[in-house]
Amino acid sequence: MRSWKGNLDVWTLLIWIALVTIGLVGLYSTTHGPAAEYLSQGVRNNFYRQLLWSGVSAVGVGIILLLPVRILRSLAYPIYGGTVLLLILCLFVGAEVNGTRAWLALGPFRLQVSELAKVGTVLAVAQLLSERHTHATKNLGYALKAAGLIVIPALLIVLQNDAGTALVFFGLVPIMLFWSELPITVILLLISPAITGYLALIYMPAAIGFAVIFTLGMWWTTGQRLIGGLAATFTGGVAAAVAFVLTKILQPYQVNRLLSFTNPDAEQFREGVGFHLVQSKAALTSGGLWGMGFMEGTQTQGAYVPEQTTDFILTVIAEEFGFVGSLLVLVLLAGLLLRLIKLGVDVKHPFGSIVAGGAVGVYLLHIVINVGMVTGMLPVIGLPLPFLSYGGSAMIANTALLAIVLNTHMRRDDLSIYGY
Amino acid sequence: MLPTLGYGRQTPKIGRCQVGDLLPPRSPLFSGCNPSVFRPFVGNSSRLLSPLVLTPPCAAMDEYRVRVRIYAAVVLTTFLILGARVAYLQLGGGPSESGSINGNAVRERPVEAARGALYGRDSTLLADSRPTYTIQLTPRYFDESKIPLLADLLGVADSTVVRKLEEAREWSAFRPSRSFREVSFDTFSRVQEHLYELPGVSHEIELRRRYHTRAHAAHALGYVREIGQSTLRQLDDDEYRPGDYVGKTGIEKAYESVLRGTRGSKFVLVNVHGSEVMPYKNGAKDKPPAGGYDLHLTLDPGVQALAESLFVGKRGAAVALDPNNGEIISFVSKPDFSPSIFTRSVSDAAWDSLRSAPSDPLFNRATRSGFPPGSTWKPFMSLVALQTGLLTPNERMDCPAGYRLGNRIFRNHGGQDEGMINVKKAIEVSCNTFYYQLMEEMSLGAWHAWGKKFGFGQKVPLDIGQQEPGLIPDSSYFDRTYGRWGEGYLINLGIGQGDMSATPLQLARYAAALGNEGTLPSPHFVRKMVHPRTGEVRRPDVPAPEEIPIDSTHFETVKEGMHRVMTDGTGQWVQIPEIPSAGKTGTAQNPHGEDHSLFIMFAPLDDPEIAVAVVIENAGYGATAAAPLASLMAEKYLKGRIADTWQRRHWNQRLRDSVRSAPPKGFRRGAPDSTTPAPGDPPQLNTEIPADPAPSDTSATTTAGVRP
Repeated sequence: MRSWKGNLDVWTLLIWIALVTIGLVGLYSTTHGPAAEYLSQGVRNNFYRQLLWSGVSAVGVGIILLLPVRILRSLAYPIYGGTVLLLILCLFVGAEVNGTRAWLALGPFRLQVSELAKVGTVLAVAQLLSERHTHATKNLGYALKAAGLIVIPALLIVLQNDAGTALVFFGLVPIMLFWSELPITVILLLISPAITGYLALIYMPAAIGFAVIFTLGMWWTTGQRLIGGLAATFTGGVAAAVAFVLTKILQPYQVNRLLSFTNPDAEQFREGVGFHLVQSKAALTSGGLWGMGFMEGTQTQGAYVPEQTTDFILTVIAEEFGFVGSLLVLVLLAGLLLRLIKLGVDVKHPFGSIVAGGAVGVYLLHIVINVGMVTGMLPVIGLPLPFLSYGGSAMIANTALLAIVLNTHMRRDDLSIYGY
Repeated sequence: MLPTLGYGRQTPKIGRCQVGDLLPPRSPLFSGCNPSVFRPFVGNSSRLLSPLVLTPPCAAMDEYRVRVRIYAAVVLTTFLILGARVAYLQLGGGPSESGSINGNAVRERPVEAARGALYGRDSTLLADSRPTYTIQLTPRYFDESKIPLLADLLGVADSTVVRKLEEAREWSAFRPSRSFREVSFDTFSRVQEHLYELPGVSHEIELRRRYHTRAHAAHALGYVREIGQSTLRQLDDDEYRPGDYVGKTGIEKAYESVLRGTRGSKFVLVNVHGSEVMPYKNGAKDKPPAGGYDLHLTLDPGVQALAESLFVGKRGAAVALDPNNGEIISFVSKPDFSPSIFTRSVSDAAWDSLRSAPSDPLFNRATRSGFPPGSTWKPFMSLVALQTGLLTPNERMDCPAGYRLGNRIFRNHGGQDEGMINVKKAIEVSCNTFYYQLMEEMSLGAWHAWGKKFGFGQKVPLDIGQQEPGLIPDSSYFDRTYGRWGEGYLINLGIGQGDMSATPLQLARYAAALGNEGTLPSPHFVRKMVHPRTGEVRRPDVPAPEEIPIDSTHFETVKEGMHRVMTDGTGQWVQIPEIPSAGKTGTAQNPHGEDHSLFIMFAPLDDPEIAVAVVIENAGYGATAAAPLASLMAEKYLKGRIADTWQRRHWNQRLRDSVRSAPPKGFRRGAPDSTTPAPGDPPQLNTEIPADPAPSDTSATTTAGVRP
């Protein structure tokens, strides 16, 4: 037998441990510092629960690493199907938290199925795309199937009213397709509406400028009128749609809510979302370079920042450990993602590299949306920071995804190049 | 630190191409390297990717490598953007460099400096600062379901809390209102223990003046009061905020900057509910308040309290000085008020009633009321006459019952004829006609100049308060006031009547100068200012005393005369047992009704330690009201107690029980007697000026009994 154990990527595990530890430190600070008094009893226990889930996740890593890749691959569709069924089940018997019906009660625990669905989806897409015997994505069928695999759970999650997680799924479409060799032109066309939409929310002239440049650029690069036309439709159309929705369809308060992140200090936003952002940004500012010190954060210990154990955990770290602390988190996360890309490359088998690419995509979308939200670049969309935010389901799902990448990497020699 | 993430360059052959290389040529995968198979799903042009990928022969291999790089680049770029944003927010991009000290989580709470304490001459504590506890409500954060709990803790009815809450809401829903002021420490502690379950409830500790003395000394100490809006604007000083207490009159005002100290700050973390969580940085940024200086005053609390108690039912003033240095031993102006009423928030009604009271308790008579000095003026006249050669010490002059000037006759009291007397006797018997003659010989200019040299007609150098200069007229005054005037307008000036006035403070200074033979001291209240923490001592700048250019032999002559007043004259019944003293009574006619009772004295005779001037408005003879009061004050100061003789007991009792100021006629507030006669009015030319003692039948309020 080959010694596949020697292939285990220790760096990834170390980064994982570091991130989980930082998350626990932040959680401990906010649940055991002076702020604790203002947190509900449930939230106060979050540290211990997260500790438990971290332990469970660590055990999960061990279990997943023991599974042969063949079994992983053969489990891909069953897991995907199972999570989709659970998502459907959620719609009917799910527990509602903060308006989101995303939890299934399992005795004392609540399972956020959408988190598990990410694992199932990534596995299923990887399995699908690595099954092909040709460069199957080059014909539209595989691309559509892959996109369909992602969009089905995404729509179910939209029905659960969990916009953040759904956004991750939708964002996963171009990423997975990109990773599986869909032409870059198409990828660019797929992501251009998102960029245009974002710009249109912030500053309409920028969106129009982007639409014009993008369209001309695509046209010039490809020399095809069709591509240019699609680019114009995707970008200009989205810009127009945003303008129309903002002015004609949404009520002013809804527009305010949507736009509050652009100017959270404005009087009309003080009470709602703007308040969260002002507080969050104030916490970051308060941290400065070196931070206020463990359990010394003024904003976070004043319980000013909402959801500071979950989505806004970064504010605790940033305030108490300063820019140094938040930079460490970002460097660790960036290192983890780049490392995972390398692991995927090392595997030399489509399944492994697509799983790695998918995992990186999932993490990247979470990080962009979460940090963008915390720093006031994006609207407040509830989404946890992987490995740091409180949340058992997310911790287990993210770690499982990581373990699967580690496993395929470790057992890359088992993936027969003839095996499919 | 991190592993080198070396895909691509460090792995020369990567991805599918490597896989492809290992494959047999017919492997389906190998076709991935065949440019003919590589076809975008739209169109057929490989130009589609031309700017992005290397061109064939092995497009797929290269394309894969490029995609990995693009992906890694996207990840890196994303993190760079996020990192830059975080850096922007955390490293100075935010509103302030100093972190969140100005943020909404850290609140700066002012910590009041303890106002300096006031000590008496004998180092007894007169006033200090005590903490008072205030419970504040912030309606916006208050949880209405906690009303019963708060009411229970405060020991008030639920409805009271509801009412206070509504009052607070009317002012501001978001800012803490001082709803329950001056709660007891126990109540305060109880509420404080429950603050965590009382959102929107906060507390404040304020420092208030606390007075420890029986004496009010209201016009000396002054009072502190919550600063008004207009004062706040006037001061235009960052040091003051609304709600601060500030010295409004007296020593409290004059020494405000010394007493006040410097406000400190405490930085606390406030959570989203507005309650304090903990000190900010464990108080590292806190600035402790610097307390003000303690003032050691020259006031003798014993003498002051005695004088105030003897002043019951009277209007007037008493000032006692140390003739050697001008230290003010006692400073009384009655009616007065208790400075402590200003320590709690005075209701507007109470303030208005205090201000508009006809007796005007806020008016400082000791420095702002001018009285005709009456016969207390005679020592002055004697000294000037002796010094200017109008008179020699033993020269005898006639003291007829009446003195004719033109077609008018000015009389002695009771029409008494003393015959030929010298100046000492003239002082002793207080002979009016003697001084009419002197006045007639003296020019108004000389009289005026000498009056100024004695400190009259001008403000006294004093460290506190407002003053009236009094009136020492010169010819231009008479020109201005009467146009045409003659000697008849002046003659009364010789006996301290007519168009002249002096404040009690000026009279006390004059008495001191008589006692120390020619030195006008600068009265002052503060001996030293001691910093309570550092022990640093500052001394006030006391202006140098002024010398009166009169030979001391003349002073000895006049002092002898004044001593005789105490032994044989009008003051003989108010002598201080065992201590020789000198004094002069005065009974001043005035347009406001009953005569004013005046007395100046100093004691002991040879080396005086105290000089006193007492004026009691509309109380009749100097000898029966002002004189005993001054004498008791001097005795209290010199001996520490009042001798237990029948005479002293009698005066003590009489002053407390029966000597009263008669109600004034047409009392005009703030208008010192005689200083502002309406133009055209004839001067007070009473043909019969009562010298001392005046006929007893003119006295309505001074009960006869002991003949002065």
